[in-house]
Amino acid sequence: MESILFYLFAVLMLGSAVMTVTSRSAVAAAVWLVFCFVNAAGVFALLSAPFLAILQILIYAGAIMVLFLFVIMMLQGPVLPDERERRPWSRIAVLVLPPASAAVILIAWLARGGVTAFSGAQPAVRGTAEAVAELLLNRYLLAFELISVVLLVAIVGAMALGRRKEELPWK
Amino acid sequence: MESITGLLTKIFGDGMSPMALLISGGLTMALIMSLVMAMCAIVFTWMERKVAGFLQSRYGPMRVGGFHGVLQPVADMLKILGKEDIIPDEADKALFMLSPFVIFIGSLMAWAAIPFAPGFIASNLDLGLFYIFAVSSAAPAGILMAGWASNNKWALYGAARGAAQMVSYEIPLALAAIPVVMATGSLNMNAIVDAQGGGVLNWYIVHDPFLFLAFCLYFIASIAEVNRGPFDMPETESELVAGYHTEYTGMRFAFFFLAEYANLFLVSCIATAVFLGGWHPIAGPVFLPGLVFLIKAVILVFLQMLVRWTLPRLRVDQLMHTCWKVMVPLTLLCVLGSGIWMMVSGELL
Repeated sequence: MESILFYLFAVLMLGSAVMTVTSRSAVAAAVWLVFCFVNAAGVFALLSAPFLAILQILIYAGAIMVLFLFVIMMLQGPVLPDERERRPWSRIAVLVLPPASAAVILIAWLARGGVTAFSGAQPAVRGTAEAVAELLLNRYLLAFELISVVLLVAIVGAMALGRRKEELPWK
Repeated sequence: MESITGLLTKIFGDGMSPMALLISGGLTMALIMSLVMAMCAIVFTWMERKVAGFLQSRYGPMRVGGFHGVLQPVADMLKILGKEDIIPDEADKALFMLSPFVIFIGSLMAWAAIPFAPGFIASNLDLGLFYIFAVSSAAPAGILMAGWASNNKWALYGAARGAAQMVSYEIPLALAAIPVVMATGSLNMNAIVDAQGGGVLNWYIVHDPFLFLAFCLYFIASIAEVNRGPFDMPETESELVAGYHTEYTGMRFAFFFLAEYANLFLVSCIATAVFLGGWHPIAGPVFLPGLVFLIKAVILVFLQMLVRWTLPRLRVDQLMHTCWKVMVPLTLLCVLGSGIWMMVSGELL
């Protein structure tokens, strides 16, 4: 059952990832990317990391992709023209790069011991809310808080840079 | 799901494999939840029109079905089923056809973790509350898809407003539930309801003043989250025709409508389970738990309708101001305050 679901999610995830990069319309690409994230969440859930799976849906499929869609729609995301004629090298790249990267992954996989390395391996940490909280708020508390401060500085900086000079009309 | 799988074992004997039991139990629960959503739309449209009529000193629907027009929604449903399915020529057809179902599925998935009665919950997830907020965050994407795919400027404006509003109000909505999670020490919906047993004084709404404030903030944010008045910016009929579903007709429009009323009931169910003791009655032992739960949730739905037909609509900038500069700081105050309350009262482990 679990392996059936794993292959289902994996195939859907890879398929929608391929559709993301091959779509000519930016909006269609963004929607395929949402689907890809949802399937990634399914894989996380099967890897006994439910917290990560839900975060994946909440943050990536929910918040970040909505912002992406916003920007694409407001800026009238272009439908890309067919550029195969203008860039003849791209055809060769398409023929060479995927097999080359597949070969690299295969070599890395065999070097780590092939099938035997992963069979029957139990996850070291169960990805429940408690386990994640234990790591984030006890062991790595300082790093976690520092990252929050860095993100806060980034948000304040973005607001300061994006602010209009004149007062807003309704104030 | 336990009650459903138990029932299935009783009917079909012990011969079913666990996987078959899981799949058939899951499908049964999904069917029940879809029916609940359909019933929401049917019952609440009638109720909404009656409440609106009452507040505007008129009767509302009176003719279909004898007593106070109770069969009006059935007549409306038959009419909408017979409508032509129009897809605009210039629309992005795939996205246009897909988006009602994205919104519907986001709503249906959230019902999986609502505890209606002891044992009657589709999936007793450890992270139930978190899961509900996560899957309902798919709705803004569906609204944006609908508005953009329609290729209509009113629809696009409505979608942009709707998505911005829902993304913003998700934050106070989730933050307002956090004090309850702190008090329970769990995100499991059953655990949250179980912790409120034994009379009205154990409900989280009266647990401490900060939780009462959190409930009020949750209620306001939930009205905005389901895009209803006074926060119905996405479909302001006086300026945007009908917002993001301007171009939709027939069954596709019905799916938006279904999701809207189902979400209205969903946020009330979450409030019932999280703040109002779930299936626990005001006093005495647990009796007819499902009915108690339903009564509380329907009262909240009624309150939301009263608010919708009483207050005038906000402006877009007022809406965003309310969310980011009033409600988010207040919910953060609730989190901090109930943390301090728990520390002082010695509840903290």
